[in-house]
Amino acid sequence: MNISKIRTIMAEEGVVFSFSGMISQSLTAFMLETAKTQLEDSGEDSKMIRSMFHIAIEQLQNIMSYSKERDINDENKYTSPGVLVIGFSEKYNKYYVTSSNQIFEEDKEKLMNKIDEINSMEKDALRKFLREKLRSAEDKHDRGAGVGFIEMAKRSSEKLKYNFENIDGKYYFHILAYV
Amino acid sequence: MENLIIEATKYTPEVNLNASSHIQLIAGKSYPENTFEFYKPISLWVEKYLETLHDKNIIFNIELEYLNSSSLKAYFDLFDIIEIAHEKGQKILINWIYDADNDIAEETGEDFIADFANLEIKLLVKN
Repeated sequence: MNISKIRTIMAEEGVVFSFSGMISQSLTAFMLETAKTQLEDSGEDSKMIRSMFHIAIEQLQNIMSYSKERDINDENKYTSPGVLVIGFSEKYNKYYVTSSNQIFEEDKEKLMNKIDEINSMEKDALRKFLREKLRSAEDKHDRGAGVGFIEMAKRSSEKLKYNFENIDGKYYFHILAYV
Repeated sequence: MENLIIEATKYTPEVNLNASSHIQLIAGKSYPENTFEFYKPISLWVEKYLETLHDKNIIFNIELEYLNSSSLKAYFDLFDIIEIAHEKGQKILINWIYDADNDIAEETGEDFIADFANLEIKLLVKN
């Protein structure tokens, strides 16, 4: 176990909050509140913190709902392993929210198409697009409206960045949003 | 008709739906994991409540600090129910309440106004 290495990486990446493990709803609330308090204590802008909170909610709930490794308990509550990192990028001079989780290989193309379409739109178009999706409910499922990436993009100051990684036949999805 | 009262949690709002005062309140944060499950009894209550024509001004005070994307859908569906009742002659006012620095809640309220042009939705900034 090389804790020094982890600390070095976290310092390099400007990490202010990170978690790797089973993500549940109660943990989501705890993480969001903790990150929010931390940023408030550092005197960060309340609007930026609110945007960060919204982006992190959508990333965490996406992991819970769509992860290949999700587990559903008797009370219909989901938990899924994933990684969430909130940090400050010196390069962009902005906070970022990023996460990683395993996905089904067949979801890869669907995810790419969805995010590419969202990334092709400017803020006003996204706002309209979200309202259209809410009205049509075409992407709705039992736990969500299927509009999490639109909401994420609306709250981000840059286009959403994503990639996929294939490790020994396991497909991981990484998403990164700058606040 | 019985009132519907739900206490707030870290990620669900306080709900106080009152069949006799005709002042309805939903306030707090809304990012449950089973959003539609949480809002189902609320929609059902509102639908049943609005089935009877109340010769009263009905007020919905809605004050939400955080809404996840599935909650946006839940409110979209709730406003659909309210709009139908409004078209049948029910007098309804929705107060969409938010803190002065909450530009996201303001934008959400503006979008609801645009999408439900027949409904009376007022944006109220809290001091």
